[in-house]
Amino acid sequence: MSEPKPLVFIVDDDEAVRKSLGSLIRSAGLGVETFASAQQFLASPRADVLSCLVLDLKLPGLSGLDLQKRMAELDIETPIVFITGHGDIPTSVRAIKAGAVEFLTKPFRDQDLLDAIQQAIERDRNMRQQQANIAELRGRHESLTPREKEVMNLVVSGLLNKQVAAQLGISEYTVKIHRGQVMAKMQAESLADLVRISEKLVMTRPKPS
Amino acid sequence: MSNFTGTLLVKPNAMSNEHNRPFRLWYAVGGGIALALLTLICFRFQANSTTVALLYLVVIILVSLRSSLVPSALVAIIAYLCLDYFFTAPLFTLGMNQTLDFVAPIAYVTTAFVITRLMFRVRKSTEDQRRAEEALRRAQAEMAHITRVMTMGELAASIAHEINQPLSAIVNNGSACLRWLAGDSPNIAEAREAAQDVIREGNRAGEVITRIRGFLRKTESEKASMDINQTIRDVVILMRNEAESKGVTLQMELTNDLPAVLGDRVQLQQVILNLVMNGIEAMTSFSHQKRELRIRSRHYESDVLVAVQDSGVGIDPENLEKIFDAFYTTKSQGMGMGLAISRSIVEDHGGQLWVQQNDSAGTTFQFTLLKQP
Repeated sequence: MSEPKPLVFIVDDDEAVRKSLGSLIRSAGLGVETFASAQQFLASPRADVLSCLVLDLKLPGLSGLDLQKRMAELDIETPIVFITGHGDIPTSVRAIKAGAVEFLTKPFRDQDLLDAIQQAIERDRNMRQQQANIAELRGRHESLTPREKEVMNLVVSGLLNKQVAAQLGISEYTVKIHRGQVMAKMQAESLADLVRISEKLVMTRPKPS
Repeated sequence: MSNFTGTLLVKPNAMSNEHNRPFRLWYAVGGGIALALLTLICFRFQANSTTVALLYLVVIILVSLRSSLVPSALVAIIAYLCLDYFFTAPLFTLGMNQTLDFVAPIAYVTTAFVITRLMFRVRKSTEDQRRAEEALRRAQAEMAHITRVMTMGELAASIAHEINQPLSAIVNNGSACLRWLAGDSPNIAEAREAAQDVIREGNRAGEVITRIRGFLRKTESEKASMDINQTIRDVVILMRNEAESKGVTLQMELTNDLPAVLGDRVQLQQVILNLVMNGIEAMTSFSHQKRELRIRSRHYESDVLVAVQDSGVGIDPENLEKIFDAFYTTKSQGMGMGLAISRSIVEDHGGQLWVQQNDSAGTTFQFTLLKQP
């Protein structure tokens, strides 16, 4: 086992339910951390590992749905499995639309919960993978010189070398050299590849904070 | 509801059929003995006939007060015969010889007749009144039961949650226990702990059910020594969820060394439950920043006082006493029986239930209970 055990956060106000969920999830070989309220979950430091959140819908103070909203605002992307005593359809639709993995009504079959948790952890893994990829691409992009970045932007917008040269006021030969550097540094195999990478970078540009 | 109306209408009729009192013959016999003694004494002392006639009249009146028409008439006739035979001239003969011989029988029979009729009416009306009271008391018990069932209906979601929580903990623990035991190296310690939790949660669910059963029991008043704080806690446990779902915090401030009170646990639970539910509704009917319901118990002279204080909309001062009337309600879905029944329960316990406006927002309902003698 090279990577640490995935961690399941449990937020439920009922101590007995919390404890029983903990035991069940630990028995499946996963790590567990429990919280009695949404506020407590938000306030405590959480390890940055593969994880998901098992969240009771009905909580005193901040409700499960409120916490989901709050997490979205805070860019906490931990996937959520909702559990609830009496699930009504509108609420479950809202939760799922807002990105929840699953919505289980208590009492549920252990396998249903563990499957949902597995799915949530897979989602977290993919998300982390994607983030790592983006970070990698961004790192490569950062390694370009300012001139190279200019060339890349114009090339991916569909201009020919000649046109790029004219626009930047440099020779077509120099453009070719820069373009070769860009392709090598960005590890792009073709122009189409470079366009795709560029799109990813634009789409995932960090929000100004 | 139809059941309730039926009770009011049918029961008094059914009972008036058994309106036959036992024949009051013993009073007649007693009257005869009294006449004989009186005759003996008066004859011995040679009392005059008018005195004896009056004394006989007293006996007839006394017998008529207690007995029915036939025995009284019998006594009246005997009295007349004695008077005629022993005291009016000529002695030891029967016959209409003097004025008294004519007046006495008329006076005696008329008195016996009038008094027995009057007494019959008096007895009948007190009897009717007693039955009406009995019927009313039963109807009230029935009504209290109905409202309790309705209250429980309103609380169904809260109760379902109260039972579902331990139930889902049991299912989780059961699954976990099996998982800890499965595989090549079972984890006995974890499995044991999960199994213990199964038992504990099973008991917890059982307690909730016992509590509900207590509420739904249909009983006439059964007073016993009880701890009012425990009753308050029982209600708060049942109401906690209902309150939370409406954003209300329930706070208990219970005085520990209160004397035991003599009361009917189920009925007093009903009173507290009514007051708590009213309080919660008063706070949820308007949007409110602070929703807090305080339930306090404290000494009240040598007795006990329970106060339920809300921070809700309050009550219009002119309606402050009306709210205790039956069928008075401000709720769209209320019968208006809660406070009326609560008050009658408290008064049946020798206490008082009243309401006052808080200095800040909302109202406080309080009631007193007598300490156990």
